[in-house]
Amino acid sequence: MSANEHDETIDLTLKVWRQRSGGAPGQFETHEMKGVSVHSSFLEMMDVLNATLVRAGKEPVVFDHDCREGICGSCSMVINGQAHGAEPETATCQLHMRKFRSGETVFVEPWRADSFPVIRDLMVDRSAFDRVMSAGGYVSANTGSPPDANATPISREDSDQAMDAAACIGCGACVAACPNSSAMLFVGAKVSHLARLPQGQPERERRVVAMVQAMDSEGFGNCTNHYECSKACPKGIGVDVIAQLNRDYIKATVVRSN
Amino acid sequence: MFTWIGQFLSSSIGKKTTMALTGLLLVGFLIAHLAGNLLLYKDPEAFEAYARKLHDLGPFLYVLELGLLALFVGHIAFAVRTIVENRKARHSKYAVQADRGGKTLASATMPLTGTIVLLFLFWHLIDFRFDGGFKGLFADGASGAGAADVVWNTLGGTAHMAVYLLGIAALTLHLSHAIQSAFQTLGLRHPKWTPLIERGGVALAVLLGLGFASIPFAAAIR
Ligand code: HEM
Ligand code: FES
Repeated sequence: MSANEHDETIDLTLKVWRQRSGGAPGQFETHEMKGVSVHSSFLEMMDVLNATLVRAGKEPVVFDHDCREGICGSCSMVINGQAHGAEPETATCQLHMRKFRSGETVFVEPWRADSFPVIRDLMVDRSAFDRVMSAGGYVSANTGSPPDANATPISREDSDQAMDAAACIGCGACVAACPNSSAMLFVGAKVSHLARLPQGQPERERRVVAMVQAMDSEGFGNCTNHYECSKACPKGIGVDVIAQLNRDYIKATVVRSN
Repeated sequence: MFTWIGQFLSSSIGKKTTMALTGLLLVGFLIAHLAGNLLLYKDPEAFEAYARKLHDLGPFLYVLELGLLALFVGHIAFAVRTIVENRKARHSKYAVQADRGGKTLASATMPLTGTIVLLFLFWHLIDFRFDGGFKGLFADGASGAGAADVVWNTLGGTAHMAVYLLGIAALTLHLSHAIQSAFQTLGLRHPKWTPLIERGGVALAVLLGLGFASIPFAAAIR
């Protein structure tokens, strides 16, 4: 996959999705990218494309990005049919061009899910996730100040599992990669993160019910356990969080008396 | 008082939970069904005695059949709902789609294999339930003698062989994903148990498939 050791640059044919707005039809636009530095990231390559477009008096390609260090979750691109590209556990901003072969044709598409409508080109509206979070993805009880956290005993296993779930950056790759556009990995991560900590217990049941309700009303699909989500997750979050979500939801709705 | 049931059944997880429970109960039925059928290999009398006992249940047999029907209807109704909703969740398709090894042939074809199983089921019920050769064998305290021969004669032809093998193959593929999937849907995942459940699920699917498929083969070589 990697470029020849002696070549510091590669040439690519880029097929980029262009769409003026959510309702408008979209199509691929072809750009021949010559002399792309193998040391650049995918987003830097897109910056070069945009600089060229602007110089030619054309509209740059709109795409979402912020931290460029794999923690904010905004760089949503489906590259050659895979959310964030083929590298495991790597967000688009952390994907290097040395992972591509010179002469390769690279397709770049937005996340495709009705719950993530396209704003323009590669940028989608992921506020559905924000609405799911505001339905219950937080702790509203007073849990004290940071030093108090250290005074709360918690087992190593629980804290590790909570940290694994907390690694979710809310990028939406799980939805993009899921054949059903299901958001179960995201919601599972958020629910599990708090369900595994003592601070999350008082609101645990109310939270899972409210978040699943919000997830459903956003129109995400139903999980059929393909597990493409976890394979696409740049943080490698496992489907154990989905099992936890199922378990907690069933408990909260069917088993509990209130 | 019962609004929670409606709420649960209309939620994504509630729908999947119902599919998982009805599906697992149907697997239980399949195990019992195969065990009964395998009596054919013991001797015709054993199979006939078993069939006789089922018929002797009288009205209670109808209760069991209604229960079974309810499981199928529940499973299929929620399958159709989730399939339709999942299609609606993505109107604009990817131009390029490369899976990362999560999806399998079995998981990707659940709606198709389920539909084949359903069509096969109609054929199978016509064979042996509605106007099949068992008619009269068990009427008015008749002994049921000859029931085994009815099975062998019905399944002997090539058309039956083809239809049964297709139906059973679809069922095997369906179950090879379904059994472990149902455990995940019910939230039963565990670092020690899940690998066993995954392999055990496939093994059970294959065993059921081989067991059922052996019967048309045995009929053909008689
Ligand atoms: C003897 C017959 C059948 C058995 C034992 C069976 C069993 C199962 C089980 C255990 C599941 C897993 C549920 C889960 O993942 O939570 C499942 C899923 C499914 N079944 Fe069936 N099923 C049968 C017939 C059918 C039929 C007739 C259809 C009809 C259309 C169907 C369609 C589906 C679909 C679409 C799924 C969802 C796929 C998924 O969630 O992964 N099944 N089945
Ligand atoms: S830009 Fe922040 S994660 Fe990629």
